[in-house]
Amino acid sequence: MKSLLDKRLLIVTGKGGTGKSVITAALALLGPREGKRTLVCEINGDERVTQLLGISPAGPEISQRAENLWTVNVQPQAAMREYALMRLHLESIYKAVFENRFVRYFLRFIPSLQELVMLGKALYHLEEKLPDGSGRFDLLVLDAPATGHAISFLSLPAVLSETVPPGAMHREVEKMRALLEDEAITAVALVTLPEEMPVNETLDLAAALVQRQLHPQVVVLNAFTAPRFAEADLAELRGKPRLLAIAEEHRLLARSSEEARATLAGTLRLPVLTIDRLYPPRFGREQVERIASQLGEELKALR
Amino acid sequence: MTTAAPRAANPLGRALTKNDVLVCVGGGGVGKTTIAAALALRSAAEGKRSLVCTIDPARRLANSLGLSQLGNAETRIGPQNLEQAGVPGDAPLFAMMLDTKRTWDEFIERYAPADKREQILGNRFYQSLASRLAGSQEYIAMEKLWQLKSRQQYELIVLDTPPTAHALDFLDAPNRVLDFFDNDAARWLLRPALAAGRWGLQVFSFGGNYVAKTLSKLTGADTLRELAEFMLAISGMNESFRERATQVRDLLAAERTSFVLVTTPRLEGIDELSQLQRVLQQNHMSIAALVVNRVQLAPLPSDWEAAAQEPRPLRAKLEATLEERRLGAERDSQAISRIRGLCEPTPLIQVPAFSTDIHDLKGLWRTAEFLFAENRLEGGQW
Repeated sequence: MKSLLDKRLLIVTGKGGTGKSVITAALALLGPREGKRTLVCEINGDERVTQLLGISPAGPEISQRAENLWTVNVQPQAAMREYALMRLHLESIYKAVFENRFVRYFLRFIPSLQELVMLGKALYHLEEKLPDGSGRFDLLVLDAPATGHAISFLSLPAVLSETVPPGAMHREVEKMRALLEDEAITAVALVTLPEEMPVNETLDLAAALVQRQLHPQVVVLNAFTAPRFAEADLAELRGKPRLLAIAEEHRLLARSSEEARATLAGTLRLPVLTIDRLYPPRFGREQVERIASQLGEELKALR
Repeated sequence: MTTAAPRAANPLGRALTKNDVLVCVGGGGVGKTTIAAALALRSAAEGKRSLVCTIDPARRLANSLGLSQLGNAETRIGPQNLEQAGVPGDAPLFAMMLDTKRTWDEFIERYAPADKREQILGNRFYQSLASRLAGSQEYIAMEKLWQLKSRQQYELIVLDTPPTAHALDFLDAPNRVLDFFDNDAARWLLRPALAAGRWGLQVFSFGGNYVAKTLSKLTGADTLRELAEFMLAISGMNESFRERATQVRDLLAAERTSFVLVTTPRLEGIDELSQLQRVLQQNHMSIAALVVNRVQLAPLPSDWEAAAQEPRPLRAKLEATLEERRLGAERDSQAISRIRGLCEPTPLIQVPAFSTDIHDLKGLWRTAEFLFAENRLEGGQW
């Protein structure tokens, strides 16, 4: 399998609280280190990724943050304005139209136009060229919305291409759809936890994505607990109820970690990368570095 | 450690006595459904006919409550299941799973003018309203709550809210949906066509409406036209919808309705939590308690001493495990003091992290013991 980092577009998604942003941040370290000009894109996010990287917020403009690393936080108004100016060319027209009360109303309710424009902006940068004709970015890492929202967000172009009548918008969504559905360009990484609900949701999410012609290519199983106590250890602890309970709970954690891995790998037939559970007071750059190196190893093992 | 607390001293105990509606709100993945179900279970165990209305429960929890995938059917939990879980008495506990799409369809069938119903239900903008418009799930959950409440069949209804990324969306939902039904915009857009009596697919145009023409360059004219047509089709519903949204709001602010905020001990969602609390208060909605779910507990000093007595390899394993627990508990207790500081004077109730997911009545019953302080966390120690 070609490395995940050789794709052009890497979409990171998963249920809230699974560590999606931590994985995005780790990829933001790995991409540049592989020599990829990497753009990390939060979608109307809370700047969690930049926070984890220990750098100042990305903001709505693309900016270079380190060698081979650029960040942006795509926001609906700014993206809408960019899109409109691209089509209307004149600032004064933009104002006349977009400051109209009724127009604001329609923009809110045309199905997911805001999301579409944000996704459109992200994908636009994928095709941007430098003056010498090479691509401005090699890799775009997209911190996609959480499960549920992710399905509707990512399938937006497909849905709209069926419903929107022919015209400018239709051409736009068709182009986006083609990019998202092209397995050579785009990969979706599903981030999850070794617990029942997140695992089930990941299975559902993967099925929903496949049904919509999108391609989950890897599962990142976060907060994984490797086995520590053997059967003999438990025998040793018999008659010491507190220590026994501590050891048994750890075994339970390790067992559910293993079960989660087996279920995900068996059902989805995708590689499952495991990231050890960490116990820091708060996640920051140091933990992201550790996770990045583990993720890097796991990715290498896949090649 | 078990401390029997007098009922009146427990905020959720008081809430069960005083309220007939409890609404659980919080971010996604914090265990709202579990808390909602545990509250209804406890109320039922006290003999009150209680219903928990959930949105998207974990499969095993849904199974244990006897909920099939089919939505909107209120189902009574079998007495033998309750008995097996150690719930005393013949608790009248009911559960249902909200089917948002169906509830929207019923809403349209009830309120839309008869000649417009089919046109609305088949319109793709309606489909997107029912399934994707931000706030529509939240709104329809409140609508269902109102329906259930007005039937007066339950002494307590506990509503579990949809897993929104932002808990605040829940409160904004009626406004967003009301905005949607506001059809001034459609009139404005279609005015030239309507005035000329040229209402038809072929001859539709934006006339002299310069702004609309420009906008259509972005969206395509047909998209705008179809949206406008849909707006006109639902225009007859505007008033009834407005009336209903007001009633729903009144219900949320009613004397006998309270909110239960649910969170996990994490610093990440803390700003949103205090904002949510502020907005609820500004809207005169009462908050029964803030439940901090899945709190990790620190080991006792005696655990470390006992571990030190074990032979080398085992000792190292035990100490590594105790250290992880200590770190986890420390992080949680730091977060909890921040949460406590921000959310004063809302009473804070802690529920420990159990070693497995809560997926059955027994687990719910155990959760309830912590919610109602029969079983209390003391000093964060396990």
